[in-house]
Amino acid sequence: MKRVAVRFLFLLIAGVMVLSLFVIQTEAFSARDLAKGAKGDDVIELQARLQYIGFYHGEIDGNFGYGTYWALRNFQEQYGMPVDGIVGKNVKKKLQGISDYDEKYVKGQIAKGNQFTYYGGQPLEAQVKKGSKPQKQMQTPAKYSDQDIKLLANAVYGEARGEPYEGQVAVAAVILNRIEHADFPDTVGGVIFQPGAFTAVSDGQIWLTPNERAKEAVIDAINGWDPSENAIYYFNPITATSKWIWSRPQIKKIGLHIFCN
Amino acid sequence: MKRMLFIMTYSFIVLGIYAFGKTQETEQLSVALNTQYSKSISDASQKLGELEESVKKSLLFEDEKSSAKEREDVWRLSSDIKASIGALPVNESFSTSWMNYLGRLGNYAKESTEQGNKDDYYAVMKRASDNLDELSSEWQVATSDLLSGDMTMQHWENKLGSNVENEGNWGKMGASIKQYGEAVFPLTASESDAQKKKELRNIKDQKITEDEAIERFKKLLPEVSNDVIAAEKSRKGAPYPFYHIRFSENSSIGYIDITQKGGHILSYLVERRMGKPTKSFEELKKMAAVFLDKADYKDVVLEESRENDVAWHFVFVRVNPDNNAKVFSDPIHIKMAKDNGEVLGMDTSEYIRKETLKPQPIRDVNWKEFFRTGVKVMEEELAYVENKQLEQRLAHYLTVVSNDKKPETYKIVVDTDTLEVIKTEKQ
Repeated sequence: MKRVAVRFLFLLIAGVMVLSLFVIQTEAFSARDLAKGAKGDDVIELQARLQYIGFYHGEIDGNFGYGTYWALRNFQEQYGMPVDGIVGKNVKKKLQGISDYDEKYVKGQIAKGNQFTYYGGQPLEAQVKKGSKPQKQMQTPAKYSDQDIKLLANAVYGEARGEPYEGQVAVAAVILNRIEHADFPDTVGGVIFQPGAFTAVSDGQIWLTPNERAKEAVIDAINGWDPSENAIYYFNPITATSKWIWSRPQIKKIGLHIFCN
Repeated sequence: MKRMLFIMTYSFIVLGIYAFGKTQETEQLSVALNTQYSKSISDASQKLGELEESVKKSLLFEDEKSSAKEREDVWRLSSDIKASIGALPVNESFSTSWMNYLGRLGNYAKESTEQGNKDDYYAVMKRASDNLDELSSEWQVATSDLLSGDMTMQHWENKLGSNVENEGNWGKMGASIKQYGEAVFPLTASESDAQKKKELRNIKDQKITEDEAIERFKKLLPEVSNDVIAAEKSRKGAPYPFYHIRFSENSSIGYIDITQKGGHILSYLVERRMGKPTKSFEELKKMAAVFLDKADYKDVVLEESRENDVAWHFVFVRVNPDNNAKVFSDPIHIKMAKDNGEVLGMDTSEYIRKETLKPQPIRDVNWKEFFRTGVKVMEEELAYVENKQLEQRLAHYLTVVSNDKKPETYKIVVDTDTLEVIKTEKQ
């Protein structure tokens, strides 16, 4: 009788453990719907699951771009679901039912910066190559790379960290306006490192680590905001030494900077 | 006393070693800088000579095919010199005029080959050749003693004119280049139109007062507009006058710019502490569309969405009612908070410029023949897109997937009349 009770208890504990694993597994996705343009842990899981069942062949980076979108549509089509490229409750349920997601492995590889895949039925060790190109961290217009955004954030922080948010977005916008302007180099690096163009480059403050506010300001500028109203120069009237800069037509003043053409 | 003497001697030695190390480091940096600047000067000088020669060579041939290589060289060398100038701490007035001139020269050589306007090419390039001849001599004089001896950063600044001492010489050279540029490569009609649009010269609406601008702000965004900190007019040099209104409401602080003519919103942006995301993509998309509709932007559709840490950025574009084509030059950017769905920003500066659209024939295209086997056209729409000549062209706006092991997605824009590929952008 005692042996039966022990066996029953053992089975009960095992059952609860399996059930809890299942519960964790099914609740891994958050409640929100996912669509093209989304980013984050949910998208990492989506990409990993689609790759596990052979629909997705791109990088697992947490950015819902076109690669993920087409893979999702193919998945929806094959499983007789409405083909809309949106991950709702039903898509999540179906994906969880037919795929596996080893969060520790996937996120571990991302954290280590390794190049890796997550195809089902293949040993995980064979799917990892150490070291890779840096992955895209943000959803940005196609023409800007993460490197561009990092440089812009460094420049904004070095040049305008004490300025109002509007002033920081305006500094980033001036750099972007210069890229489009015939009088200046046509790359982010070319404009920022043009000798004498920015004080932060001359005094080395460009290499300070930018804060989240500066990064957010850059994201807003590359997404289309220009509080400088098309300016291509700015200067601090208290510290400016060049006579020439005073000859430029002035547009507006934000914080300590005057923005001009 | 003995101990004091020991400490002082010890400190003196440490300080001496540190100072020696620093001097060595500065010297090494100075040599590295000197090498880099000397290389840029020498590259620019050599390539300026080659550019002048290529322009002259391209004028020898009657048939533009025979001068194709020289024209290509003009374009390449112009870009190379631009890069060299961009790497030097040269006087701002000189560098901006020079960059502009070189850009226009290179583009003209390239575009004239594509468009085949032979007679114009000879007339324009003959004048450019004369200008380059003069500029080449001036450049040699200005840079004659730059490649001799070691120079510090200070010396380079003095010699290249970003310092007040030499501002005159380089400034003068910059002014003559500017004159040459304006005479030889004047703005084309399309460029001039684009400039007018950018400066909002096509807005003919009545002027509004500062109070009316604030009223417009309050009506559009009642949640954040109760406490206006300051409202001021744009400065005299602004190409289009506007009101710059700054506000602060609870933890929100931001600005809105409103044009004086017609009271159009240029841009609006707010900063505040953000909470945990509660709104879904679908909800925010809907909220953005409802907001724009209420604000009377009724002719726009959602084109792009991008999620970032605290907000979703949506891009809406105007739709031409005649043919349902999207007008990419007339976008509205809107930023929606993920925590409560508040409109954190809006930029309509390009939308209010409104492009003038001309009717254009649409030729049938067989995409299976247009693209290589295996390339799939996933989506096809009509859109107005600016071409290299800054003209608005009606185009097939295609979303295409390549036939690779790892398929890539491209947006391809094809002119509906000429079938010219205006743009190919990897997504």
